[in-house]
Amino acid sequence: MTKSGKRKFDGAAARNTKRRPSFRTILPALAAAALALGSPASVQAADPIKIGILLPLSGVFAANGQEALVGMKMYFDEIGNEAAGHKLELIIEDEQGKPDVAVTKARKLVERDGAQMLTGIVSSGVALAVSAFSKESKVPMIIAADGGVTELTVPGPLTNPYLVRTSQNGRTPSAVGADWAYKKQGWRKVSVIASDYAGGVDTIAEFVRNFCTLGGKAVQEQFPPLGTSDFGPFLTNVDRSVDAVVIFEPGADGLRFGQQYSELGLKAKLPLLDVYGQTVYEPNLPQLGDAALGVFSSLHYAAMIKTPENERFVAAFRKLTGKMPSDNGPDGYVGAHAIADAIKAVDGHLDDTMKFMAALKAVKFPSPKGDIALDSYGQVIQSIYIRKVEKVGGENANVPVADYHNIDQFWPGTVADYQSYEYKTTALKGSMTDCAKMTARN
Amino acid sequence: MSARSRNAIALAAAILVVVLALPHLLKPYYLGLTSKMLIFALFAMSLDLILGYVGLASLGHAAFFGVGAYTAGLLLLRAGVGNAIAFPAALVASTAIGAGIGLLALRARGSYLLMITFALAQVVWSIAFGWRSLTNGDDGMPGIPRPNFGWSLDNTTGFFYFVVIVVAIAALLLAMMVRSPFGLALRGIRESESRMQALGYNIWRYKFVAFVLASSFAGLAGVLYAYYNHFVGPEYLSVIQSAEALIMVILGGAGTLIGPAIGAAVIVFLEDFISSMSERWTLILGVIYVLVVLFAPRGLIGLFDDFRTRRARP
Amino acid sequence: MIWVIHTLNGISFGMLLFLMAAGLSLIYGLMKILNLTHGSYYLVGGYIGLTVMRLTGSFLLAIVAAIFVVALIGAAMERFFLRRFHLDELPQTLLTFGFLLIFGDLCLWIWGGDPIMIPKPSILAQSVPLGDYVFPLYRLFLIAVGLVVAAGLWWFQQRTRFGTMLRAGVDDVEIARALGINVSLLFTLIFALGATLAALGGVLAAPILSLYPGADFEVLILAFVVVIVGGLGSLRGALVGGLLIGLLDNFGKAFFPQFALFTVFVPMAFILSIRPTGLFGSR
Repeated sequence: MTKSGKRKFDGAAARNTKRRPSFRTILPALAAAALALGSPASVQAADPIKIGILLPLSGVFAANGQEALVGMKMYFDEIGNEAAGHKLELIIEDEQGKPDVAVTKARKLVERDGAQMLTGIVSSGVALAVSAFSKESKVPMIIAADGGVTELTVPGPLTNPYLVRTSQNGRTPSAVGADWAYKKQGWRKVSVIASDYAGGVDTIAEFVRNFCTLGGKAVQEQFPPLGTSDFGPFLTNVDRSVDAVVIFEPGADGLRFGQQYSELGLKAKLPLLDVYGQTVYEPNLPQLGDAALGVFSSLHYAAMIKTPENERFVAAFRKLTGKMPSDNGPDGYVGAHAIADAIKAVDGHLDDTMKFMAALKAVKFPSPKGDIALDSYGQVIQSIYIRKVEKVGGENANVPVADYHNIDQFWPGTVADYQSYEYKTTALKGSMTDCAKMTARN
Repeated sequence: MSARSRNAIALAAAILVVVLALPHLLKPYYLGLTSKMLIFALFAMSLDLILGYVGLASLGHAAFFGVGAYTAGLLLLRAGVGNAIAFPAALVASTAIGAGIGLLALRARGSYLLMITFALAQVVWSIAFGWRSLTNGDDGMPGIPRPNFGWSLDNTTGFFYFVVIVVAIAALLLAMMVRSPFGLALRGIRESESRMQALGYNIWRYKFVAFVLASSFAGLAGVLYAYYNHFVGPEYLSVIQSAEALIMVILGGAGTLIGPAIGAAVIVFLEDFISSMSERWTLILGVIYVLVVLFAPRGLIGLFDDFRTRRARP
Repeated sequence: MIWVIHTLNGISFGMLLFLMAAGLSLIYGLMKILNLTHGSYYLVGGYIGLTVMRLTGSFLLAIVAAIFVVALIGAAMERFFLRRFHLDELPQTLLTFGFLLIFGDLCLWIWGGDPIMIPKPSILAQSVPLGDYVFPLYRLFLIAVGLVVAAGLWWFQQRTRFGTMLRAGVDDVEIARALGINVSLLFTLIFALGATLAALGGVLAAPILSLYPGADFEVLILAFVVVIVGGLGSLRGALVGGLLIGLLDNFGKAFFPQFALFTVFVPMAFILSIRPTGLFGSR
């Protein structure tokens, strides 16, 4: 799992070319070349295709980045690190979750290492910054790990013709969650709690907007700052007369929230819907124990999805890492699959960038997350699952209880619907209890 | 012409040759990295003015860096003005914030100053992070355009020359400042405030002016960084960024101007280089810092000085 | 009743803050070192406690192990690294920052990037009914521990010979040395004690806050805030500052959630403007 593989090869070749050719130097050179070219069948030296992978491998998003990397490598290894007769060379850089570092690393991958495309990407800030770079440098960018900021694939100032996203986007788990909450659970009044940052407000606002459109209402909104260790004041404040509590709390905040929700007695009284499944994120489940039982969540993946693709994937993933996958691993896997399919579709010729982008947008395949396709803006069309934490074989797991298929980024409406709203979701903090404002169109 | 001026001109000529040659010697990526090194060299030098020359330790210097970057970003992206207005406005804004924080913080000394500057910088950060409708919060503002003087700065070489010119002028100004009577007074204050006071100097006023000047230069570095990345985000204002500046100054050698510039270049390069080599780059960087402290407690410049004096002795 | 809950929440969080800040303040008071590695002591202590808890199931053993190991690390750091830079702030800053990076990455390497909570010991894992609400017993436990530690530190400072030597050293190191006090040993022991308090904070906080990469920086910032408010070098300041920030944070978030981000920094800035050295700081 190290990225030193690439370095060792470069070093060996460079050292060998400097000495005078002799039997002792030619043999290792041949060996290195043979290794580089992979199986004996493809000894004709087709140029390797360089894929630049930008992921956070340190910092707060380290766990997400590392899991996405595992997923990506799993797929590339399955196809022998080769597509359309070209070897696939993965060049990995740690963007540390910081947009300025990410741009520097993106430049390094493209300008110094000759990467012909960029992929990976977890945080939205990084996605935005690198997208600006990709647009300027005309380098294909495949957001695979997360980077779900909605605006990137919606017609508008941020659109980038060199971008596709196979992971997800901020609004679909919210929209589906609202639909399920209203129609399947019969909830009408909810209290919402979301982490106070752009992604948090955006996600919960989408939930409330869709819920309002259906006829429901949020009677209370609270926004704990990122890094809140003590949710006591927020939980104590929750209006006990609502039908359910709907939340979005990422990272360590989600873990703490899940525990405190149970400890402070709310779980016994009010059902909890975790949009995006951050609180019931797989690594959290063993720690939350029974505090997580019965918690609902909406996400584009569940480790318990019962399809042959997913069961195979989960078994292989568990064998490699000893853990259950969250959404990052399958997202990485799907991103790699999309890249490989697109490379095959253009027969390895990446010089015509727009043709490659068209090939990316045309990919279609079944995957551990469900069936994958992309819309004309480059955003993935996939399934969203409502999951419930239940005991499966002695362990707690997120089990799908409702499936929504063929969900595109504007579901349940169209792009025109999405663009007709008067207010941007991130500006609606403080207005969530006002359904008229939430659904106002211009 | 004296030997000293001849040496200075020779040095300047050599530097000019190197600067002109670099774009032809380095790959575009490394040329870009050099621009980044120059930008942070300026940032570090601005901190050295107050840390090295006056003895004021600030853990909030990134506030000025960030305010410069954000002002430029906001004016360019939200108000739609051009760089002709945005660039100077950014400098004015960071200077104003510098004056504000200086007024509130400079009564304190030593570790208390460190903490107050940290606290006030955190407030500025909270505003950038929290005022989402204005700054886009933690997503940051991408798409910041570089200035256009007829010669485009959008290619690496053009931007490199721009940064070299700006940083060289700034560095020259800073060097002139520290050699002037004003600079000497600052050093006097660092040595002994009571003595300077007895000599009739208005200590607070000197500290304040130095602080404000430092904030302007930091703001300049911030704008350059915003141009470099075409982007600004709350990380520009974070305590981590302030701590990095402090580390650059200390590593290079406080109170020398050239030391912190070198420290900044070394750290920018090391961070980039090591993080591509190993996943454990933070660990390696930490070990390097510890080793530097053990073997070069006066910083890299101190090491260089020791080496020179040791060679001079028979 | 809801006020009682908010108050108890605030006090329990405040006690955690006190534990985190006390060590920083203690070390500064005597040695004038602003120890940036303090955040690492918290995190390393927490992770060691986690591992011991997983191996033995004993929370008590986890605490003891964490304290022991981190005390050794602290003592070693002081004795072999920091001692030669006595009163030299800049090298100290770079040194402690370097160690902060080293320990942070070691923790990421060994324990991974996912947030982990130490499981609460079963006797403390229940919730106590309070009117219409329930309150976790563990938080009441935290309040108790905080009070015991505060009392212990006070007794140690005021009533033991060692504490007297500490107070002498804080007042004037030269005179203390002249009086025959083994100042070097004192320094090492106090540094170890400060590290211990941070490690204790780490283990006690982990069941509530969880351990994750970056927690070391976050704790350092929080400890800074408490020490700013309470005053550098004052244990009383760390306690009062911790409680004050804990309560302000809680009530602020409960009643002014729009400004949740500011409920910590605004009181800090306010106190700084009227008393730059903090509530109980000297000079």
